[in-house]
Amino acid sequence: MGKAARQASRERLRQERLKEKQRAKRNRILGVVGAALVVVLLVVGGGYLYLTSQRESEQQFAEQYAALPPQEVQQDGSVVLAEEGAEAPVVEVYADFQCPACQEFEKASGPTLQKLAADGRAIVHYRPVSIFAQQPAPISSNSLRSAAAARAAADYGKFVQYHDILFENQPTEGTVGFAADDLKQWGEDAGIDAPAFADRIDAESAAVDQFTGEYSQQLMSAAQDEFSQQKLQGMSLGELMEWGDENGVDRSFLEDTYVKEILDATAAVNERYSGGESEFSGTPSVYVNGAKLGNEAFSGSGIENAVENAEPGQVDTEPLASDDAASGASPENEESPDAKE
Amino acid sequence: MCIHIVACSSIRRIGDARLASGKAVDTQDQQTVRPAEPPSDREDTRSPGTPMSQRLRAAQPWATLLARVALAGILGYSAYTKLPPALSVQSVEAYQLFSPGVSEFIGYTLPLFEFALALLLLVGLATRYVGAATGLLMLVFIAGIASAWARGLTIDCGCFGTGGEVAAGETAYGIDIARDVGFLALAGIVMIWPRSPLALDRLFGLYR
Repeated sequence: MGKAARQASRERLRQERLKEKQRAKRNRILGVVGAALVVVLLVVGGGYLYLTSQRESEQQFAEQYAALPPQEVQQDGSVVLAEEGAEAPVVEVYADFQCPACQEFEKASGPTLQKLAADGRAIVHYRPVSIFAQQPAPISSNSLRSAAAARAAADYGKFVQYHDILFENQPTEGTVGFAADDLKQWGEDAGIDAPAFADRIDAESAAVDQFTGEYSQQLMSAAQDEFSQQKLQGMSLGELMEWGDENGVDRSFLEDTYVKEILDATAAVNERYSGGESEFSGTPSVYVNGAKLGNEAFSGSGIENAVENAEPGQVDTEPLASDDAASGASPENEESPDAKE
Repeated sequence: MCIHIVACSSIRRIGDARLASGKAVDTQDQQTVRPAEPPSDREDTRSPGTPMSQRLRAAQPWATLLARVALAGILGYSAYTKLPPALSVQSVEAYQLFSPGVSEFIGYTLPLFEFALALLLLVGLATRYVGAATGLLMLVFIAGIASAWARGLTIDCGCFGTGGEVAAGETAYGIDIARDVGFLALAGIVMIWPRSPLALDRLFGLYR
């Protein structure tokens, strides 16, 4: 074998060894990448299965209306869902039917809340508000119309059913929804067949239109003449309306309407939880015995834990007199009685 | 005034995000001393170089380790704050890019995916490729935020915890994108210089 041939064969060997090394390395990389993919699949797949199964088990409590305890309308138009004489933590739910986060909250935690109430483990206090009342229509009008309709449904003991239907049919923000005809139909779907309900919806819709249209324009233009932009932004709708009362912006059309109740309830919660850790700063806001829940409110298990760890509490509103509960009559108390602490 | 907005914890969330990005900036400061060496898996073929570049080369694995741990912390934290999934779904829906079903799927799986990446970065498995995946994820986030910005949506990015609509003056798209670019840089470091101590890859003879 010549020198050149020996060199060539050595070179070939070297090349092969190098190739072998590269191949081994490629295999090692494929190995770790494969292992990493398996980890990702296990974590994502396993986690997904766990989370969806948890959701499904919580959804089993949905729409079990026959098992629900009594729904009692309060003087401020809120509704307490609790077993007779239940001694349990009070869960207050402040929500706006037009608010997407409230819809997510209802989807995730609503059924669990109803179950906790049915089991006598919680007193669920539904307190609809309208955080969008001051915004332009249709977001304000959707919000007010739906809240007033839910209040009307409460007169027939169907608040919870109606509330669920509203959230299922929440219009996309910025589009007109919760139309009067739909609101009437949903009343029938919830089991309300009194004609007075439909009449009430029409009356409330008219009040909403006047509020978000003519009244808001008058109020804002009068207020803009009086206050600086900065001052205006710092004022709540309640303060503005009171100022309007004294300055010739008439809102007598709101008398005896549920729209007014919702506006008063919204003003009242801003006062009730006006600072500190439990400040009311938007919807949904969920309080257990007056202490605000954080992100844990957005899962049934989170709510359940919070309730398990709380002492029995007291509802801070008085029930509406029972004799006019089913008459569709107007509320007797125009002052928001819950403003007392 | 907070009453206008839908899910009102956005102010705290932005604060949280700053906290996390502050951590990232710290790590990056330490990265600035790293050598500009070419990407290479074959450490044995390196030439010795000047004493200065040798020192930088010795520091590189520790810089990569820091980037790995920082990214793992950031991803793990952001996954944690996105749960429960109802919150995460809400954040995805706010972008108005997907149908409800797809939004829900992303809302459920995104925090889990982030958590998986965090886990892999922490243990150092397939470091280079996990770094690349993390970088890609950041690019997707940046694109999403930019698209929300361009379409004039007023949302919280939902990067850490709940997103959703916020008042017009409360958006922070610029800060969000800048922060994600910082995270992208960290991911780039991990991808380009995957060699680092305390990595499972070393058990398989990679990036030693």
